[in-house]
Amino acid sequence: MLEHYFPILVFVAMAFAFGIVLVTAGRLSGGRNPDSEKNSPYECGFSPFESARLPFDVRFYLVAILFIIFDLETAFLFPWALAIRTIGWFGFIAMALFLGLLVIGFIYEWKKGALEWE
Amino acid sequence: MNPIPISMLIFYLFAGIAVLSAIMVIASNNPVRGVLFLVVTFIASSGMWMMAQAEFLSLILVLVYVGAVMTLFLFVVMMINIELTSQKRKFSYYLPFGAGIILLLVLMMLIALHPQYFSFGSMPSGVLPKGANTELLGKVLYTNYAYPFIVAGVLLLTAIIAAISLVHRRPRDCKSQQVTEQIKTRRELRVRIVNLPSEKKED
Amino acid sequence: MFDQLQTLIWIIIKITVIVLPLLILVAYVTYAERKVIGYIQVRVGPNRVGLKGLLQPFADLIKLVFKEIVVPSRSNPYLFIIAPILSLVPALIAWAVVPFSDGLVLSNINAGVLFLFAVSSLSVYGVLVAGWASNSKYAMFGALRSAAQTVSYEIAMGFSLVGVLMAAGSMNLSQIVAAQSGGIWQWYFLPLLPLFVVFWISGIAETNRAPFDLVEGESEIVAGFHVEYSGVGFALFFLAEYASMVLISVLLSLFFLGGWLSPFEGIPGIEKLFAWIPGFAWLFIKTAFFLFVYIWIRATFPRYRYDQLMRLGWKVLIPVTLVWIAVLGILIKCHCPPWFAI
Repeated sequence: MLEHYFPILVFVAMAFAFGIVLVTAGRLSGGRNPDSEKNSPYECGFSPFESARLPFDVRFYLVAILFIIFDLETAFLFPWALAIRTIGWFGFIAMALFLGLLVIGFIYEWKKGALEWE
Repeated sequence: MNPIPISMLIFYLFAGIAVLSAIMVIASNNPVRGVLFLVVTFIASSGMWMMAQAEFLSLILVLVYVGAVMTLFLFVVMMINIELTSQKRKFSYYLPFGAGIILLLVLMMLIALHPQYFSFGSMPSGVLPKGANTELLGKVLYTNYAYPFIVAGVLLLTAIIAAISLVHRRPRDCKSQQVTEQIKTRRELRVRIVNLPSEKKED
Repeated sequence: MFDQLQTLIWIIIKITVIVLPLLILVAYVTYAERKVIGYIQVRVGPNRVGLKGLLQPFADLIKLVFKEIVVPSRSNPYLFIIAPILSLVPALIAWAVVPFSDGLVLSNINAGVLFLFAVSSLSVYGVLVAGWASNSKYAMFGALRSAAQTVSYEIAMGFSLVGVLMAAGSMNLSQIVAAQSGGIWQWYFLPLLPLFVVFWISGIAETNRAPFDLVEGESEIVAGFHVEYSGVGFALFFLAEYASMVLISVLLSLFFLGGWLSPFEGIPGIEKLFAWIPGFAWLFIKTAFFLFVYIWIRATFPRYRYDQLMRLGWKVLIPVTLVWIAVLGILIKCHCPPWFAI
């Protein structure tokens, strides 16, 4: 099994090397000519008036939490999808219960308005 | 001369990256950089799990921890916007807590795992039954371990409800699109046709 | 030692053989996009550099390499430089498990689909780091929008992949294609039609392409997360975006349109007539079709609003996939013909 993953490791190394080579090439051939106006963050021609790192809407955070939960459900679904032909009706019903719980959570989320964006 | 096998070399590469980036997580004073080093740690540990032939778990580690949990961490760190100077507390201030937690963890590991696993002599054989890792996992997870599996489902449900009731505040003047109402609407509700008698031209 | 070195060199050659044509393909996808959109809007598109503008992508590349990399003041310079690389690497390494024809694959791993899914979840980092490191408001907003969008559509994508796995009973991409053999009616776009549509839509949303390109929305947040990038940094983001576009097109062909299988399989007479066409040519044709639709959609549809985008992802695509997973489970358990008789 591992001999199949070795090419992927080499690929990762090569992809990083490729990116680094391109960036270095750009750095070397692009020249550097900084001035304070050019280097200031773009704000439609105005000078930036405060830091960009402002606190933002809490709903992005909620989306991230819900994503973790659903991602875990997907992780549970993957082996089930492969084994569905061998685990019989028992395994099928186990997953039906699990998905039923997920659907309850999903309906709760929906009714609470957690999926609403204005 | 006995050359070191390549797999050993790769293992130590991953282990080295994991340890170094784990140190950088606590050493870097920029929280975003700390989270990114934690990502590197997770990827390196995923590589180590792969070396232990745990194909499914290794990829799930990347998928769930790196792809989802760390994204949330990054969101949080970007959101709470810690000022770089304010968090330079004294190292000694946190030392007792850290030492206590480390002690507790080591004790738990010693109790949970038999000490013999820590010696070099008793490495697991590393030979797994032939066939796809994930499929074999699926065969036992939904049959022999169906009960813990359902309990995990209940936990996830609790997590959904807890997250929503903690985080979600309905904005006061929320204007959202009601698509079902838009589709259900009929012409009579929106347009009124009025018969106006034509006016006479004034001379 | 010599043996291992030989293997290593052989792997490096293989990777080059995959990546070089991919880069050329990406270059010409950008050219095709400008040409096709040009003709849709009754213009001619680029036609100056080389015959009919065919050398345009290379002119662009050379220009971008020789541009200065402007690092904004008050940014985090290291993260700012690393971000484009972080976004390029996942877009490239996903190609390690993509089979181009029967047996023609770099690493034929059993958990191919899981690998692809895991790698595609990493692409969020390039965007988030770029947005944060730039220390510019537009970049930050673009990155946040992009992350929330990618994350929402990834769930729908994962669920539709579950459907594919249920039908094929394997995570190995070659075996998924092999499971679809036996004529065009065996391809998964028919039994998994809702999942096919969901995967397609969420694939477009994952790559942040029109009509889901709020991330770059020129009219409101100028270019989103890469507003501060110039020169090579910008080129790398561009490359990553188009490489993942091509990847999604290939995956759509592999999962739902039978990959390298001929559409005339099982039809007497015509099957023989087209037997000389090699497998990867069919895969290429199918991929080119999806790429064309990408461009066509961009030229045709207006951009979504953010609330509509979130609504579509969470309230339409996820319920559809959940229902179809349940239906599919019952069909498979009952050995329902014509697709799941075994």
